[in-house]
Amino acid sequence: MFYEKSPGMFRTLVRRNSRRNRKENSLFFLSLLISIIAFYIVLSLSSQDVMLFLQKMESDAVNKLMAMIPLFYGMTLIILFFLIYYAGSFQMERRSHEFGMYLMFGLRRPKLFLLLLAEDFSGSVLALVIGIPVAVLISELTSLVTAKVVGLGIIGHQSSFSLRAVLWTAVGFLLIKSAAFLVLSGKIVRQEVGSLLLDTPKGVKKQKPAAVYLLSLLVGLVCLTAAFGMAAGGISWSQIDKMGYTLALGLLGTAFLFYGLRFAMDFLARRGNRASLSADPRRVKEDCSFQNLQVFDFRQLEETVIHHSGAMAVSFLLILAALCCFGSGVAIARDNNWSKDHVLDYTFSDEAENEKTVLADRGLDTYFSSLFEMKVGHIRTTEDYEHAFQMETVMDALAGLPESYAREILLNNLGYATAPRLISLTGYNMLLDAAGLPVLKLEKGEAGVYIDPEFTDDERTRILNEILSKEPEAVLDGTAIRLTGEVQTTALVTDRMLTLSFALILPDEQFEYYTQGDYSVYLNGILGNEAVEGKSLLQAISAMNQKLDEAGLPYESYLQNMGRQLFYTVASSYLTIYLAIIFLVVANTVIGVQFLMGQQKAGRRYRTLVRLGADYGTLCRSAARQINWYFGIPVVLAAIASLFGERALLTGLLSFEMRESIPEMIRLSVPMLLLLFAVEYLYIMLVRRTSARYLLTLMEPEREE
Amino acid sequence: MENIRTENILEIDFLSKYYGGKSQNQTKALDGVTFQVLEGEFLGIMGSSGSGKSTLLNCIAAVIRPTAGKIALRGAQIQDMEGKELAEYRGKKIGYLFQNFELLDNLTGRENILLPLSLHGISEKESRERLRQLADYLEIADVLDKFPAQMSGGQKQRVAAARALIMKPELVLADEPTGALDSRNAKVLMEKLSGLNRDENATILMVTHDSGAASYCRRILFIRDGRIIHELRRDTPEETQQMFHGRILKVMAQMGGGSENVL
Ligand SMILES: Nc1ncnc2c1ncn2[C@@H]1O[C@H](COP(=O)(O)OP(=O)(O)OP(=O)(O)O)[C@@H](O)[C@H]1O
Ligand SMILES: [Mg+2]
Repeated sequence: MFYEKSPGMFRTLVRRNSRRNRKENSLFFLSLLISIIAFYIVLSLSSQDVMLFLQKMESDAVNKLMAMIPLFYGMTLIILFFLIYYAGSFQMERRSHEFGMYLMFGLRRPKLFLLLLAEDFSGSVLALVIGIPVAVLISELTSLVTAKVVGLGIIGHQSSFSLRAVLWTAVGFLLIKSAAFLVLSGKIVRQEVGSLLLDTPKGVKKQKPAAVYLLSLLVGLVCLTAAFGMAAGGISWSQIDKMGYTLALGLLGTAFLFYGLRFAMDFLARRGNRASLSADPRRVKEDCSFQNLQVFDFRQLEETVIHHSGAMAVSFLLILAALCCFGSGVAIARDNNWSKDHVLDYTFSDEAENEKTVLADRGLDTYFSSLFEMKVGHIRTTEDYEHAFQMETVMDALAGLPESYAREILLNNLGYATAPRLISLTGYNMLLDAAGLPVLKLEKGEAGVYIDPEFTDDERTRILNEILSKEPEAVLDGTAIRLTGEVQTTALVTDRMLTLSFALILPDEQFEYYTQGDYSVYLNGILGNEAVEGKSLLQAISAMNQKLDEAGLPYESYLQNMGRQLFYTVASSYLTIYLAIIFLVVANTVIGVQFLMGQQKAGRRYRTLVRLGADYGTLCRSAARQINWYFGIPVVLAAIASLFGERALLTGLLSFEMRESIPEMIRLSVPMLLLLFAVEYLYIMLVRRTSARYLLTLMEPEREE
Repeated sequence: MENIRTENILEIDFLSKYYGGKSQNQTKALDGVTFQVLEGEFLGIMGSSGSGKSTLLNCIAAVIRPTAGKIALRGAQIQDMEGKELAEYRGKKIGYLFQNFELLDNLTGRENILLPLSLHGISEKESRERLRQLADYLEIADVLDKFPAQMSGGQKQRVAAARALIMKPELVLADEPTGALDSRNAKVLMEKLSGLNRDENATILMVTHDSGAASYCRRILFIRDGRIIHELRRDTPEETQQMFHGRILKVMAQMGGGSENVL
């Protein structure tokens, strides 16, 4: 055979075939690019600006995350292997006739294998050459955008480029690529020439009565509704077994739904028949672009639904998962409250020394616009310190309320509040003042209630305030005391040096008495204007931290507080969005490849249509319509399901305020759906182009000569 | 019939089709074929394998572009047609019957028959009556809602015939329509076709290997190596079908030295 004799010919064939493959199967090439980008993005996560910044603050958590990267890398490896394998199998199937011809002409099998290998390799190299710069660019862009979004001006941008990441990307990519190649080409090379040459038309499976499918469709809908109902109602989140039921119900519903979908398709096909029956002939003639081949389209769809209802269900689930991941990623990103009620920049606490003098000694006190002491101590007036405090009235009032989740928690938490810490009023009022809140006025015999924001939420605070408004009486070390004012929830220190689930705020005199002068002092500081001038607050705090580190003073800064929240926000939203994109890509590739394979298998039918007088435009329009439906069914179903799914997820994941606000839901869903439609549009166009190219080859093969 | 002057529906002039360019192993599948087909005629084309029969039919069906020569259907030159015009021609002017039926296996019989209408955006309403007539005549009314997999070979070919005829084409082309049928089904099909030819005045051009099928024709062209080498005409009504069959067998024997070689 010619290319066995001349290596030049072999090379030309490789080059030509590779170029044609890329053109004809852009879907496959796109999956390759996406794989490369995905690998690189996972691997370069540690060199992102935000991560570099957080490394300093929350090195533990960041390190934990980084330790998980190989896991993510491995998972990506597996998912993308299937992606490449699937897209590649289409490529191979499309060319199987060609391979059969090569073998017929006397190309030996090892040589065919070599040919495929060479083609595959040149494709991979090109994908890497294009993919890596794109990946670096995208990673760089994400780095910049996240840094901007979270307001990090501090460290200045550092390139996220990492040679290690590039290397591992190439390794991982080539690994899955060659694994997929080996499996696929092994299949091809081992096949008989005859079966390669065969254009296998699909048989029509035996049909069950239509009622079976209708029933399955209905059962599917009922199951899905029940599952979403359980999730959105919050039932599924309470116990693991309930969650299992929900999941099982959802999966079962999906399977039934897609199995029963052929009923809908058959119905549509038959309705298409009737529509053309009843339509006004003159009008139809003019609208022919609408009517042409409608029945054929639905029969084609029906067939794919019949043969691939499993794969369609999987695509649906993947898209749904992608949407939910994306939605919760965005929700988590928005649900941060670290910038909202931040008052204090610093808290110092040192048992041995007086921090104020130390600061003054180093000339650091001038950087603060406000420095005040927060005094907190235990009840020291009684031996029975464990049971120094009772508030029966409050508990009774709580118990008298209608049952609710918030009430349960309050009953539980407050039941243990028999030894509250005490807070002196002056220090707390300075805090309130700094926060711009009205100060608290307490008489002798009165006390305010303090609960750390971590231990309450809007609903619980509301319930307590209602009870406190009646100024209930409590007993502190045998003395009656009235609880007044609203529940105080302004954090006592800047971060986590002190978190109290329940404390009493007492006038200074009473405070001194009950603590017997034995208490801790926390020095809170708020940076002054001069210190912050011209910089972002984060930069100012960073600079100050450096000075304090030199002074060797133990301190806690807002940066830590923020850093932690930022870390969880960034890490979880980053990863969920990443997963969302991967799922979306895989689902779309599966749908696209499946359509194209189906079309290829139906090639004979299209040929017949051509013989019956179908022109290219008609065929392309018919294919486009089928593609719209084919993508549309899982996508639209997933979009609808995601609206419920999102609601359910929010119930499980997010804070109370987020859950309840409808505008927030809409704000979440809109970008989610926009992203979905953008991606779908891209894929639909891509598949249409590939399909149009294929149809063109069917149009006039014999007339071309 | 002889006394009615009918006009030519199809004119083929020096039609040639060469495969393989100008190289030495060029195949002359058709080499200057000339003939006419009258309106309402049932014309058979016979010849040994590789003689160019399918090529001829495909040229007329505008699936293959001829190398030289002219094809005119009611005066319209079809060898130069392109795009929409070509599609219209394939779909509306001619009906095609394939050896292996080429029904779409995921469409019901009815949907298959109506496919040409669907392709050309014509309302089924106009053709509902015609569909009923055809289905009755071809005895396929009870398989209309079945899928091809649920039909017998004969039923499939008759459904395919209904599909070829639903648009009332000027010319029906059939490439070995009985090739995949047993003799009984072949006989039924040929009876139906010749009936349609007689009653509807449908013009049919049929390629066949089968002398039995050919005996239903009124004229037969024999081709070899891309050229017409003989022509037989049935002298209706004097000559019976049996007698015509006998003459066909004789020609076949003369041409190929025994019918085995021809078939
Ligand atoms: N696409 C093609 N490329 C090259 N040669 C071809 C092509 N199609 C047909 N031929 C050649 O043209 C000649 C006529 O072929 P054609 O198919 O018309 O024969 P036929 O009379 O229909 O034969 P059969 O009875 O076997 O169907 C044959 O020699 C065949 O090899
Ligand atoms: Mg032939």
